[in-house]
Amino acid sequence: MYQFLYNLIGNELIAGLLVAVVPLTIILVFALFGIWLERKVSAHMQDRLGPMRTGWHGWLQTVADLMKMLQKEDIVATGADKTLYNIAPILVFTGSFAAYAVIPFSSKLLGSEVEIGLFYVLAISSLVVAGILMAGWSANNKYSLLGAMRAAAQIISYEIPTALIVLSMVMLTGTLSLDKISQMQTSSFWNWNIFGGAIFGLSKFLLIPFMFVGAMIIFISTLAEVNRVPFDIPEAESELVAGYFTEYCGMKWGMFMLAEYGNMFAVSAIVSILFFGGYQSPIGYLGNSIGAQWLVPFEQGFWFIAKGLTLVFVQMWLRWTLPRLRVDQLMTVCWKYLIPYAFINLIIIGIISIL
Amino acid sequence: MNFYDIIFYIFAAITLLSALFVVTTRNIVHSAFYLLFTFFGVAGIYVLLGADFIAISQILIYVGGILILLLFGVMLTNKITNVEIRTGTVHMLPAAIASGIFMGAVVAVMVWTEWKSEPSVIPLTTTKDIGHLLLTDYVLIFELLGILLLVALIGAASIARRDKE
Amino acid sequence: MKQYFKNTWDGLFTVFIGMKVTFKHLFTPAVTIQYPDIKVKLPDRVRNRLYVNMDDCIGCDQCSRACPVSCIEIETVKSIPGEDLGFTSNGKKKALWVTKFDIDIAKCCYCQLCVFPCPTECIYMTDVYEFAEYERSNFIYKFATLTNEEAAQKKINYEKLQAEKAAAAAKPKPETPAQTENKSE
Ligand code: SF4
Ligand code: SF4
Repeated sequence: MYQFLYNLIGNELIAGLLVAVVPLTIILVFALFGIWLERKVSAHMQDRLGPMRTGWHGWLQTVADLMKMLQKEDIVATGADKTLYNIAPILVFTGSFAAYAVIPFSSKLLGSEVEIGLFYVLAISSLVVAGILMAGWSANNKYSLLGAMRAAAQIISYEIPTALIVLSMVMLTGTLSLDKISQMQTSSFWNWNIFGGAIFGLSKFLLIPFMFVGAMIIFISTLAEVNRVPFDIPEAESELVAGYFTEYCGMKWGMFMLAEYGNMFAVSAIVSILFFGGYQSPIGYLGNSIGAQWLVPFEQGFWFIAKGLTLVFVQMWLRWTLPRLRVDQLMTVCWKYLIPYAFINLIIIGIISIL
Repeated sequence: MNFYDIIFYIFAAITLLSALFVVTTRNIVHSAFYLLFTFFGVAGIYVLLGADFIAISQILIYVGGILILLLFGVMLTNKITNVEIRTGTVHMLPAAIASGIFMGAVVAVMVWTEWKSEPSVIPLTTTKDIGHLLLTDYVLIFELLGILLLVALIGAASIARRDKE
Repeated sequence: MKQYFKNTWDGLFTVFIGMKVTFKHLFTPAVTIQYPDIKVKLPDRVRNRLYVNMDDCIGCDQCSRACPVSCIEIETVKSIPGEDLGFTSNGKKKALWVTKFDIDIAKCCYCQLCVFPCPTECIYMTDVYEFAEYERSNFIYKFATLTNEEAAQKKINYEKLQAEKAAAAAKPKPETPAQTENKSE
């Protein structure tokens, strides 16, 4: 993508900026769509209809809300620490936006082709933690601070099972590059990592159960990392108002929302790349069979978005199914259940991949 | 001046300015947060040097681990603003001489070392080589560090446990 | 150890059961209605916006006194002899000009206490419940049928009558309560 634009324009800066605009657009559009989807899914699961009056089945509702949000007064509490208060939403959004730099949307549309994409995604999400702590502390509000502390503790804890599963996948595939991992799972769905990867043999069948366990663990722990229900104690509405962004309003609040939805899609994308073949089509490409090669990247983009959205839908589905965990239960789930299982999984996958 | 030079100067400025704020601000939470930008700037400079693995490790370990720990520590202190960080000055003369000598040494090293200044080829991937080196040439140090961390971990766990009895 | 695996299994299994339930509900038709387009039928005796049928009101002020939040304001002027105000629909003779009958519906708590004391059953609840306004002053509903000039005329008529009466009497002594009430406006 960058190389293509660079050849087209011939200016590094402009090409770089243009490449950066692509994920930004994707986040914005996804946030608009995702918030609407969330409302509709929640409504239908509770036998309601949700927004119906702006556009067809209320699909413009989020746009209307955005317009409202942009017009809102920017209130800063008197006791707040102004500098940090203003930086925090930017930092949180930067953290979630920066993760998109390495996510391959299709074989042609990917920002950076760095070798260490997976490692980068794990690392850059720590900016979000710093931003959340900053937001919580600077608002000078007890609820915010409590929420921020909880968020930091939770995200740091749940990074461990995520990292362990990622590690086992790295051992299996032998690369940290998200693009390469996607490429390996090509042609059809039984080559996806969840079905044991592309290499056909005994190890493939041995791997399948452990891959299912791994996919489940990483899905749960990434769910916790993006603070979604049932792991939403940092922003628990019924006890902490809104957690670390209680004091924010208008577009700064909107940036937290954008970051949250950006993160949701990013972690879904990571899970789908690691286990569900990333941008690879499950059934082969139309472009290849009718001989139109230019169609393939678009199909890949479609499959990638479809997989991402499916996982996002599962996240929402869980949100409207489960109640919130208590803090000690949250830590129990992570330290006593997910981490041991992830460790055993790591060891077994290591042994199988040596076989 | 090429494009990458500008980026380098931006990162350098971020690093230096935020480091300056870290030591001058009188609010220790601010100090801790400015440290974030220092770490970030250093990571940027690593990236410009082609050391992508180190850069990401820098962010993962310093921003994601140490800084957060630091913040937790700082937020648990009861006096946050107006902390008198400077302590009294004693032994002005020996201190001045010692730091003068140290600075002279550093400057001398900087001036007299023959820096490799030809633009080297930036390796496309560093991860594999780092892995190889860690498990061949530097395996002893690697293992020692692992044991050190393990000891620290066990020590921390046992300290935390003893209080409860 | 057995407990541990059982916990794991229970944790996962119950989540799947819950997800099955919510998934079923995803396709259950909605039980809610699209309110402004579809409206449910209101039950009988529902309490909503008040209405006063001024043709029947005799200006007895009982509704105003019954109101717990004092949102009804009534002013009346006595009719002078020769003026025929007619009868109410249940046969009471009207004797007072109702010059002011304001209900501040924003204050009203829909308790319906004003409805029962009315001797002519002319104040009652309707089934209108959508009456939002942009101006708060629009919530003061004025039911009096007389225009301002007419009301003023009635007052003057009455005062003239009083004055004539006072002149006719040996000692001109105005009727204090009515007088002060009229003056205090
Ligand atoms: S319904 Fe109740 S509150 Fe309303 S005017 Fe009548 S008495 Fe007053
Ligand atoms: S109680 Fe009935 S008749 Fe009497 S003033 Fe009120 S509305 Fe009129």
